[in-house]
Amino acid sequence: MTIRLTLNGEEREFAAPPMTPLIDVLRDDCHLTGAKPVCREGFCGACMVLVDGIPTVSCLTPIALVEGGKVETVEGLTSADTPPPVQAALEAHDAVQCGMCFPGMVVSLTHLTQPGECDASRAAIKAGLTGHVCRCTGYERIVDAALAVMEGRQ
Amino acid sequence: MSEVAERAVQNLRRRDARDKLMGRTRYTIDRGDRGMLHAALLRSDIASGKIRRLDVSRAAAMPGVRAIATAADAPGRAGLGIADHPLFATDIVRYCGEPIAAVAADTEAQAKAALAAIAVEIEPLPAVLGMAHALAEDAPLVHPDWPSYELLHAGGKRGGNVAWEASVDRGDVDAVFARDDVTIVETDFEVCRQNHVSFEPRATVAHFEDGRFHIESSTQVPWTVRNTTATVLGIPPSAVRVTVPPVGGGFGLKFDCALEPFAAILARKSGRPVRLVNSRREEMETCLFRENAQIRIRSAIAPDGTIAGREAVVLMDCGAYGGEQVFLTTMTAHTLGGNYKLGAARIVSRAVYTNTAPNGAFRACNGVYNTFALERHTDEIAARIGTAPDAFRRLNVIGDGDLGATGQVFEGEVLRPMMAKMETLRAQTPVAPLSDGRLHGRATTVGTWFVFTGPSAATVNMNADGSATLVTSGVEIGSGSTQQALPQIVAAILGLSPEQVTVRAADTDAAGYDVGVGGGRTTVSLGAASRTAALDVRTKLLKVASDMLEAASEDLVLADGRIEIAGAKGSGLSIAEVASHAQLHLGPIAGTGAFAAANTPAMAGCCAGHFIEALDIPVFAVHDCDIAVDPDTGHVEVLAYRVVQDVGKALNPRAIHGQVQGGVVQGLGYALHEEADVGPTGQIRQNSFETYRVPLAGDVVPVAIELHEGAPSIGPLGTKGAGEVPILNVGATIACAVANATGKAVHALPLTPPKVLALLLDSAPPPRFAHIKDRHIDNRLPPDF
Amino acid sequence: MSPLSSPAIIVPETLADALASLAELGADGTPLAGGTWIMRAPLRDEPMAHAYVALGRIAELRRIKISAKRVEIGASATHAMLAAALERCDDLAALRNAAAQSANPAIRHAATVGGNLCARRFPAPDLATALLGLDASVEVADAAGSERLTMEAFLAARGALGPGRIVTKVIVERTGHRSAHSRLPLRKAGDYPVAIVSVAVRLDDADRIVEARIAVGSVEGVPRRWTALEEALAGQPIAAVDVAAIARPRADRFTGRDGVEAPGWYRVHVLPVLVGRAFAALTSAAT
Ligand SMILES: Cc1cc2nc3c(=O)[nH]c(=O)nc-3n(C[C@H](O)[C@H](O)[C@H](O)COP(=O)(O)OP(=O)(O)OC[C@H]3O[C@@H](n4cnc5c(N)ncnc54)[C@H](O)[C@@H]3O)c2cc1C
Ligand code: FES
Repeated sequence: MTIRLTLNGEEREFAAPPMTPLIDVLRDDCHLTGAKPVCREGFCGACMVLVDGIPTVSCLTPIALVEGGKVETVEGLTSADTPPPVQAALEAHDAVQCGMCFPGMVVSLTHLTQPGECDASRAAIKAGLTGHVCRCTGYERIVDAALAVMEGRQ
Repeated sequence: MSEVAERAVQNLRRRDARDKLMGRTRYTIDRGDRGMLHAALLRSDIASGKIRRLDVSRAAAMPGVRAIATAADAPGRAGLGIADHPLFATDIVRYCGEPIAAVAADTEAQAKAALAAIAVEIEPLPAVLGMAHALAEDAPLVHPDWPSYELLHAGGKRGGNVAWEASVDRGDVDAVFARDDVTIVETDFEVCRQNHVSFEPRATVAHFEDGRFHIESSTQVPWTVRNTTATVLGIPPSAVRVTVPPVGGGFGLKFDCALEPFAAILARKSGRPVRLVNSRREEMETCLFRENAQIRIRSAIAPDGTIAGREAVVLMDCGAYGGEQVFLTTMTAHTLGGNYKLGAARIVSRAVYTNTAPNGAFRACNGVYNTFALERHTDEIAARIGTAPDAFRRLNVIGDGDLGATGQVFEGEVLRPMMAKMETLRAQTPVAPLSDGRLHGRATTVGTWFVFTGPSAATVNMNADGSATLVTSGVEIGSGSTQQALPQIVAAILGLSPEQVTVRAADTDAAGYDVGVGGGRTTVSLGAASRTAALDVRTKLLKVASDMLEAASEDLVLADGRIEIAGAKGSGLSIAEVASHAQLHLGPIAGTGAFAAANTPAMAGCCAGHFIEALDIPVFAVHDCDIAVDPDTGHVEVLAYRVVQDVGKALNPRAIHGQVQGGVVQGLGYALHEEADVGPTGQIRQNSFETYRVPLAGDVVPVAIELHEGAPSIGPLGTKGAGEVPILNVGATIACAVANATGKAVHALPLTPPKVLALLLDSAPPPRFAHIKDRHIDNRLPPDF
Repeated sequence: MSPLSSPAIIVPETLADALASLAELGADGTPLAGGTWIMRAPLRDEPMAHAYVALGRIAELRRIKISAKRVEIGASATHAMLAAALERCDDLAALRNAAAQSANPAIRHAATVGGNLCARRFPAPDLATALLGLDASVEVADAAGSERLTMEAFLAARGALGPGRIVTKVIVERTGHRSAHSRLPLRKAGDYPVAIVSVAVRLDDADRIVEARIAVGSVEGVPRRWTALEEALAGQPIAAVDVAAIARPRADRFTGRDGVEAPGWYRVHVLPVLVGRAFAALTSAAT
């Protein structure tokens, strides 16, 4: 089956079996290895991408369901040389350790820190991150960074 | 040197953060190569059996299949202490998930399809699934041939299903327990397994080129991978080169050789690069877990509240092969035997074979559950003799000049001042009283850990442009040590900024031997080797500069990228000028450094079967928490968590704080959420993120942290490892606080809501191990086995 | 490519086309909604179907119609859509909270009402439990026509709709009940609840309970009503009644399922507490 979609702003076409998880097409066919297949069951968030602007677990999304849609991966969010606010804040807060969960975190936080998406409170941010697991950092610095972005400071 | 130490201190950011945040970092799982094959393993689905037939001919003829490997391709056995572990199950299958054959094909789907076409018949044998069974009189032997295995470390006792036994005997314990003025307290404890859940699974890409193997791997121990691969393949270690891309989490999981030899064999057979990556299910089911353990502690308390004598039995399930647990029997003496002054001590620690997935190393291995048992036992003692737990601890903790369990003499007064700091920290971070019917609990615990010193090597190359390159076998597993502490040390010595120090990724062809990244040793062992190498470079630079400037070496100072004559700023030269002058006229400047364990002595004759008899660098921790227990559902909420950690010297305080927060949260998982156990067929029951619950953002709190500096350390610039210890007493602290909140004796972890509710309902009897015998001697192998 | 890749997929734009495709495929065809259950089939050691008919592009299945009398929810509405649509329907707080609290944000944007009702051998569906408490009815259609089932009848046959049949919508009558949803995950959030109690209560002018509907999910394999408790509560003044105390001796009507995450006794034991919490939410919402 031929699937057409806009990937990180570019029109793309793939020939892939339709029930292939989006993550496998991104990684194997497009060499976009930012998103990670960690649990493949919707619990960890490491495979998060934006589909039509909404954070979506690419491990449980059959490629056929994004036909005609707009997919953005962490690579697409950070194509510029200077990191966008979320990435800059995470870097400034020394939040990163092994880094495997961060591509997914960055995608969700990019969405969450848009005006009107989420209250600028620790509790609300944590609720927004329910579908993300980080095994290294203990989360709090990620929350600090998100708060900083929401409050417009770095 | 102290001014160098001060210069080394800074909250340097990680140089790898930006690429990680942009999704550009290529971990092992992200690597690909033209013509690369994909491999998969056929694993046993039963726990114990005899392989009657294994026929791969039909699989070999399947589309896309390029190579198949079985036991015949890997003749050697590896292990730690005992060579008991073949690469593939050979004749006998010993656990669910044990590899039987490996296939490499053009695609992963083809490899998996080929696995299904392998004909294998396994005749089931009785399986030993728990330690009670393993230690029973008539238990089947997991390794009937154990006496014939090659011994790799002398001194341990072995026999039957006991893979290894280490013991400590100091003083006359029988006499102490026979006294009529002592109060005797005895408790049994049990803990289940913990899965590391490192986000990057074990993964490897192997190449066979020009007669040598090149293995790229997600590992903490490139040299172990090199040596073990050589052992099981029956080739010289020099035929194996290991390089390590950024590692997506380790926590001890990757402290052993894993998938690498399979991929290596398949690469040699196919002549193509081969990629082998565990699925999440494979990771969950064959994780080298933190072992499940059973513990009995008995203490005799003198009327003055001191501990006159203590004996303990610690059973550690090593699974089907000895692995790390053989070594870890050593740790019991220092963890369960730690924290407190003991009049007399008698401790036995046994690694027990079962037909289950082998266990391994996990952050503060062994220490986490022994600290839990010790601290809960300590609270029970305090309650029994009617003393406040904190007062009992202050009286009994190890101080300057006190003897440890193995008779080691501890230096410095560390734990008591740390406890005092904790009191202050508590007062600064009060929690509001509960008004919702939940039960409030609090606890303070202490813990003893160490730095696993061991050999390391480093080279520093001084480049003509004024930058330096640090070459070691240190791996970046996420903790940041190779990104922060190591370049900070080298830069401080050379008068550079850390950004000017390039850190080479681990490569066994480029750098000398290293034990690996684990045991909190990177900053200490690699740091010490790097420091020596940098000092070597510094001496050479100064010599050249002194010639160029016609000034004595002693009058020169290195700072800010320049070498100046002391007191005359601007009089000197840039380091780049000196380095390029040297390069042109004398050849490039380089320095080397090496480090090895100090081998601090124990008391003669009191240890048997130990790999480490005394701690070169002890590390202490004091933890404290407030919690709320929901009496209706058993949910435990952490209200506040506080850590005072002995760090020697904090080179990068912000990085250490990050390690403490992360380590405490992993400990909260162990204490409250994470449960892994073996089901009736020998399979691990929690095989997914759905069933194995790690803490999420909503479950954690910001940890209040105070770093305690100044305790003695042989580490470079007075440092100690700081990344491993934060997890050490979390289980202990939470357990003591839950006991405090509920008034119930907590004897097992984790404290999931159903377990806590059962405690509150008195419906779960405390563990009482019939297979741990009343007389200590009956828990030990006979003397001359 | 992973072994997931072989099945075919049809993505119709209209309900008629979807039903025609399913009719044609017969036993080989399976509806695909958000995919959050289907895509995990390999993890459950279940085979994938031969062909899927995607329901996500069919506008009428995504519609949520709200009137003073009833709410009609298209089967392809996601949890997130439902939670947003019910923002002002306080009488349906149980359903709104079920939609807003289950799973995690990304899953709530993908998983649908139809998938929640139809996922086979799924013991912990929040929406299905809430809809049972609200006494919703389910419209099931095939190429030949449609029929309405009560939630109870639907759940009894769950997974056995038969080839070619799908859920098209769920209808909730607004009958002046108040409702509340109480779920118990083991962590703060993010996991499947080990027990769910969803209640809908109608009061008379004196604030006595005229009717209480209490649905229990995740405790047994399929959600069901706690009729013994419902009967015992009828006629009680809501402000004074100790619901948990009345519930406690009646919890033994359930046989808790043992699971890897929690033993059966635990699920049953927490029911009185959950029902107490749900009633507390009802009364606090009213004041
Ligand atoms: C990480 C995670 C956490 C979760 N937590 C929760 C939770 O806490 N509470 C909760 O309730 N749910 C939870 N879920 C969701 C739940 O388990 C199911 O995955 C989800 O409800 C399925 O919806 P779907 O639209 O994705 O269905 P699909 O996966 O597309 O389909 C599921 C089944 O329903 C059938 N089906 C779908 N639509 C129809 C229809 N209209 N007519 C007939 N058959 C149909 C399909 O054929 C398939 O058999 C969670 C899911 C994940 C991944
Ligand atoms: S890999 Fe998709 S959520 Fe974990």
